Amino acid sequence: MLALLVAACGVFEFHPYEIRGGEESLNAKALARLPRHDPERPFRFAVIGDIQLFLDDSADAVDDLARRDVDLVVQMGDLTEYGTAQEYEWVARLLEKIPAPTFAIVGNHDLMGKGGLLYQRTFGPTFQSFDYQGSRFVLFDSNSLEYGFSGEVPDVARLREALMSGPARRHTFTFSHVPPGHPDFDPDLTEPVEALQAEAGVTISFHAHTHRYASDVRRGVRYFVADALESRNYLLVTVVGDSVDVERVYY
Amino acid sequence: MARLRFVGWLVVVLGLVGGRAARAADAEVETTVETEEKARPWYVPGHAAMQLAGSIGFTSAGPGWSFLEEAVEAEVMLGWAPRAIAGADFVTLTLKGRWNPFRLRYGNWTFRPLSVGGMFSYTFGGDYFLSQPGRYPDGYYWFRTALRPALILGASVGHSARTFDLDRVEAYAELVATDFRLVQFYHNPATVKTGIVSLALGARLRF
Repeated sequence: MLALLVAACGVFEFHPYEIRGGEESLNAKALARLPRHDPERPFRFAVIGDIQLFLDDSADAVDDLARRDVDLVVQMGDLTEYGTAQEYEWVARLLEKIPAPTFAIVGNHDLMGKGGLLYQRTFGPTFQSFDYQGSRFVLFDSNSLEYGFSGEVPDVARLREALMSGPARRHTFTFSHVPPGHPDFDPDLTEPVEALQAEAGVTISFHAHTHRYASDVRRGVRYFVADALESRNYLLVTVVGDSVDVERVYY
Repeated sequence: MARLRFVGWLVVVLGLVGGRAARAADAEVETTVETEEKARPWYVPGHAAMQLAGSIGFTSAGPGWSFLEEAVEAEVMLGWAPRAIAGADFVTLTLKGRWNPFRLRYGNWTFRPLSVGGMFSYTFGGDYFLSQPGRYPDGYYWFRTALRPALILGASVGHSARTFDLDRVEAYAELVATDFRLVQFYHNPATVKTGIVSLALGARLRF
């Protein structure tokens, strides 16, 4: 009876931006599912780009990832086109099919309407930092334009703390939707963020947003921009000791 | 500015409903539906609708107008989804239009097996925009979060209700395909599947 009621609730929508039902805290759940720490073991993770209107292409990416031996996956934001509850649900259901723990960061489209609240409910806080296999992963919100270049996005103080604190580690990887230097990234914060990432010895700074693959080195830090998933490829990162290899995997 | 315009509309609509009720109270002689329909100016609502869900609130209600013997209808609905149910308060104003190509009668029953229509729903509040805020370059977003177009497929069943001093009471169901569902379905039929529509249930009281 209860199941029937829940199923019936699914067919009703009170408002496109309703914050009701659906998945919760998926990033925290992914964190709890990370494989056991084993510093001697090489590891691999995948970085997938904008989903937006490319759900069917993304479903193929998910199928491909299911066949691959990866420790974790990070989706780079713009999970949705309109930031609506239904889109969040579609994407959450899609990403759940990846056997490896999967994290998602927030993109500008995901913040539209009440999308920010939907992101927080579905995935969790927009800032997240964790260690895995002796490397640090820092996920943050860099959608400065959505906040009218308030000077607080990205949160440089918090980023500094996450990058500079804690025990020595082999690698540091950062993940944010809009790349520094892009017109939608707070122009006053590009220099501080790039300088901070250099100072902290970030291994790779991952981004998306432009829908177009790019790669360059700034102040000794490698920057990668993942293609949108309509281009049917994602980044596969292999970490063996001090060496970090990034390849584009087409599916 | 846009919000003011909608509030203005709302006042007009509420005024019309109030006027209609007062007129009904004044009427001392019971008139037949036909003569009343003829006597009624076009802007006086001919029915009221109440609805559950349908992307425009947990509940919504408003006056409606019928033309061409109810083949073409329009409604203006004020909708609300409270925080306790929807996680945030949502207030909407919706203009619905509908074409009823068929009407079947059986005794006191009236059936409309198919209605096709559309709506524009405006959501009040600072989190939504009707014209793109100045911080964005021109054309940065191609849609408006405050204004939601949708297509509607519906059916209804009605019964005369003269004992309640009403011409007819109808129950209706609608499948509502909002813009984002249609767009996502167009691009991603395999993922969206039946998620292209949500369900609305409602009642119409015809005066």
